[in-house]
Amino acid sequence: MSEPAIQISGLTKKYGRDRGIENISLQVEEGEIFGFIGPNGAGKSTTIRVLLNLLFPTSGSARIMGYDIVKDSKNIRTQTGYIPSEANPYPDMSAREFLRYCASFYGVADAEKRTGELMEMFEAEPGRRISDLSSGNRKKLSIIQSFLHRPRLLIVDEPTTGLDPLMQSRFFDLLRSENRNGMTVFFSSHTLSDVQMLCRRVAIIREGKIVNVEEIESLRKKQLRKIRVEFAEKSGDSLAGLPGIENLIAVTERTVEFIFSGDINILLSALRGMTVSDLTIEEPSLEEIFMHYYN
Amino acid sequence: MNSNLFLRELRSNLKSLIVWTAIITFLITATMSLYSIFLENNSKILAMISILPEGTLQFKGVSDVNDLFSVLGFYSANNVIYMLVLGSIYSIVLSSNILLKEEYGRTAEFLLAWPVTRSQVYFSKLFVVVLNILVLNAITTVAGYISLETCKKEPYNVDAFLIMSLYTLLLHLFFAYLGMFLSVRVKKPRPITTVSVALVMVLYFIFTISNITDNLSWAGYISPYKFIDLDVVNPEYRINLINIVYFTGFSFLFLGASRSMYIRKDIYL
Repeated sequence: MSEPAIQISGLTKKYGRDRGIENISLQVEEGEIFGFIGPNGAGKSTTIRVLLNLLFPTSGSARIMGYDIVKDSKNIRTQTGYIPSEANPYPDMSAREFLRYCASFYGVADAEKRTGELMEMFEAEPGRRISDLSSGNRKKLSIIQSFLHRPRLLIVDEPTTGLDPLMQSRFFDLLRSENRNGMTVFFSSHTLSDVQMLCRRVAIIREGKIVNVEEIESLRKKQLRKIRVEFAEKSGDSLAGLPGIENLIAVTERTVEFIFSGDINILLSALRGMTVSDLTIEEPSLEEIFMHYYN
Repeated sequence: MNSNLFLRELRSNLKSLIVWTAIITFLITATMSLYSIFLENNSKILAMISILPEGTLQFKGVSDVNDLFSVLGFYSANNVIYMLVLGSIYSIVLSSNILLKEEYGRTAEFLLAWPVTRSQVYFSKLFVVVLNILVLNAITTVAGYISLETCKKEPYNVDAFLIMSLYTLLLHLFFAYLGMFLSVRVKKPRPITTVSVALVMVLYFIFTISNITDNLSWAGYISPYKFIDLDVVNPEYRINLINIVYFTGFSFLFLGASRSMYIRKDIYL
């Protein structure tokens, strides 16, 4: 059996007053799209920066494609692509200059062709100075540079921030097609829906520690909904006691909000007997899901 | 070293090299062109200097007013400000930002995720700093030499001029390595230009104060300026091995320390 794409063992990074990460262990198999999810400030970016050797671990170790993250960092980076959460390419360069510069480090044989294809896919403007680009357009460059050398492992940190829905979908398509060709993806995000759509397994990180590593399917089965009901007249209390309702809050006299984990049909039958003037069903925030499962 | 990074840095620093070299060259040649007027008004100038507060001349490294009337003495007195202070400011500003700008500009997240080692980043940038300083010194030294040759009324000690130019180069490299050393110690990524410039000024100030005030002469040894002989008019002017050892020693110290710290540095963004 081949080496795992990523093998993290007891990785800890402490700095000053910031929490950093504590005793993180997980394994990502070659060829999988692995989700890494947690609220902002949970330690996702810190973990990634330790993996890429921007930061040095306080203790513990990790191997990527069999290489040690500290000793063999350059070998790792030859085969890895990285999309940072905030894209700040060199402001004095044009998009094309930046991508050429990037390709020169990897020695990409068909750099011009590959760059051209990717720029076309993401509708990037080659000639404009990066300092004049919007954050979304910078993000596109950040994505393109990570794919230039056809990496074996792609590490992405909040890749969809700043991208419009069309570009997001092109990005996901590219991710899937490169994955079919064997690329492993480490997908860090705080957007559960993105992770659910792409990944088979997900590690949940909170306050610097891994809370759980789960199959996406099992997370999906525990599907939670955040529901807000506005009644025509004051009758909010009538839902209390229905199985699956948690954190029921009366927002106003006529409006209630709650997290629902039960059978949606039971809820709908209960509502049928009441006069509802508005109903919103949405995905709860990650923090709310964590409150539900891990408190 | 990584040639892509080296060339990129060379290009991105070229404009500032041209500007600084042009300014310093202009100041040197423009001032030297005043030398003949200075000589013609010899007596007036002596009278004017006599009313200046004591120490004013020492501020420009001149110990004897008569030195100013030799072409090399005149050059040296002006060179102090232009080359020894301005040139050092250029060197330290360049070097203290060259690694750090990747951090406060957040471009380190690209560069250091590409296949290049920290050591390659360090040396590629260091070579750009050294090359820029060599170019600045070569051009300004040639400009100084041409000015001296054009303005001289009688022969002067060319060796003394070359030794002085060598010291100037060593001083610039000293500040460049000091700048790199300071920049790798910075944890929170932000530019340290102000601190670097202030450091040059303070070290120069310490040197001049120690020259003026006898009981503070020991303090001068804190400053690298103390290790540059400015007494070019002295017929005994020779290269001083202690000064060379001082500059070489500190250069190795700063370089060794900054490289080993940079390759282990946590890059916070």
